[in-house]
Amino acid sequence: MDTPVLLIALPLLTAFSLGIIKIFSKKMVKVVTVISATVHLALIMSVVREAMQRPIVYHLGDWDNLLGISLVIDSFSAMMALLIGVLAYAVIIYSLVYVDFHELKYYVLSFLLIAGVMGMSLTGDLFNLYVFFEIVSITSYALVAIKEEKASFEGAFKYLVMGMLSGAFVLLAIILTYQVTGALNFAQVAANFGDAPMLVRQTIFVFFLIGFGTKFCLVPLHAWLPDVYCGAPASFNALSSGLVIKASLYAFIRIVYLLFGMTTGISQVMIYWGVLTFLVAHILAYQQESLKRLLGYSSIAQIGYIMLAIGLGTESGIIAGSYHLFNDGLMKATLFLGVGIFSYTVGASKIDDLKGLGFSMPKVSFAVVIATLAIIGLPPFNGFISKWLILQAAWETEYIVAAFFVPIGSLLSLGYYLKVIKALYSRAEGELEVKPIDWKLRVPTYVLSAACLVMGIIPNLSLALITNIPKFLLDSSNYINLLLGR
Amino acid sequence: METTFLAIAVLFGLGLYIILTHQNLIKIAMGIGVMESAIILLFIIFSYRPGGTAPILDADAQAYDLIVDPIPQALSLTAIVIGAATTALMLALIIKIYNRYNTLYIDEIKKLKG
Repeated sequence: MDTPVLLIALPLLTAFSLGIIKIFSKKMVKVVTVISATVHLALIMSVVREAMQRPIVYHLGDWDNLLGISLVIDSFSAMMALLIGVLAYAVIIYSLVYVDFHELKYYVLSFLLIAGVMGMSLTGDLFNLYVFFEIVSITSYALVAIKEEKASFEGAFKYLVMGMLSGAFVLLAIILTYQVTGALNFAQVAANFGDAPMLVRQTIFVFFLIGFGTKFCLVPLHAWLPDVYCGAPASFNALSSGLVIKASLYAFIRIVYLLFGMTTGISQVMIYWGVLTFLVAHILAYQQESLKRLLGYSSIAQIGYIMLAIGLGTESGIIAGSYHLFNDGLMKATLFLGVGIFSYTVGASKIDDLKGLGFSMPKVSFAVVIATLAIIGLPPFNGFISKWLILQAAWETEYIVAAFFVPIGSLLSLGYYLKVIKALYSRAEGELEVKPIDWKLRVPTYVLSAACLVMGIIPNLSLALITNIPKFLLDSSNYINLLLGR
Repeated sequence: METTFLAIAVLFGLGLYIILTHQNLIKIAMGIGVMESAIILLFIIFSYRPGGTAPILDADAQAYDLIVDPIPQALSLTAIVIGAATTALMLALIIKIYNRYNTLYIDEIKKLKG
């Protein structure tokens, strides 16, 4: 079966054929987009179902597993693939109405972005990871600038400079790793990495941390994100916050567990840096007036929680962290899509502009409120369950300080998200004229916010997928044997 | 060998310094270019073996004692292509920014933004 490679190949093929299709018929572009996204989602579902039974290893071009590139789909990759499938489909449907600028370019870039993110989560080869990482970065820069406003060009340039720096550090780390292990395949790298001198290993860790950390917004390296989100279209914000940042974090987690293992030193770095990240981000988010900036800072904060949970290095910590990663993807996408609807219909971009919208657009506002409550961490939504699991895991491993700050962070986020809810449900001065909203904008938002509620009430749905993640992360020999086909 | 590594470190640091201190957008683009070249040079240095030959098997199939490592060379090609794509995108963005603000200096752009 060649389905695993199709997960990457299909969006790539769609991206490049859209331009040719447009020459023949302009109407076909959107039709092909929807068909391709639907097929892609179906393929992902079938692969994920297969991977839940047994992890899949796919050798590209039938090369020997040490020479060629392999795709590895264990539970963690399968979870990422599922998240990518759901979010990408929702965002593509949403874009059919939302995007009225440079349509063709937008779809080409989006499909390239999806292919890149998918590649990052499935690949079993270090350099292949870098190539997909750069595909994601370059398409992101272009997507930020696509609205051709002043803010979007500045955001894109800032993003580009930071992205180039992060790419340079990742590349440096990869070539150093190759030099000390003589391999690029994850399995061989992991097996040989222990022999490297301590100093080199520490250097490589720092380079990976800076490189990927710039992309997933560790706190001193986060400054680009709010500016970028301001000028970008809301549909890209949902993709970026839900997928791009998460894929970088995924790659970092994978590399840290495979190459270094969770030693006490690394564990403490990740835990306390995670705590610092979410505290600073929450405090900065509190001062924001602009909705997109607020959500941007909130995205950074959630990264902090995931870092903290993954850094614990225990089974419960990894489960909590990966569950929060999945949940945050859903919640952030809902919020950005909802905010996108507000800005598309009435041009609201600041918190004050939301006044009265709760009455004129009750259903969309309700969906946004659900996602807001979920991201604060109130029961019965999914955010509550994952934050509770994080708290519990931190308590068990006796990182009491870290555990203490998890509810503090929730309180802080309650502070600024309440401002949003309050603005939504306070009366505006004049009567608001709201034109009816197209179903293509509404339905993806509803579906994602319903997913937040369902995941909170029946967590077993996704926990079944997640319970196997620690098996391949904690004991890297499992992953190595899987990749080498032993 | 040590001097080569030193040269690469100096190039990398120079690129980083330009990015961090200069106001002109074109110069920032150049700084990024310098930094990338440093990394690509590092690739080549790592694959270099003194006295090694190119890793190509010919018809005589004579045994090679020493070959240079081909993998970093292949990787550096990929890295150069990625770098070229990003530089092109960056220059395109700079043109767009220049058309809007009629200046290339970050300070003045900030002033115009108000």
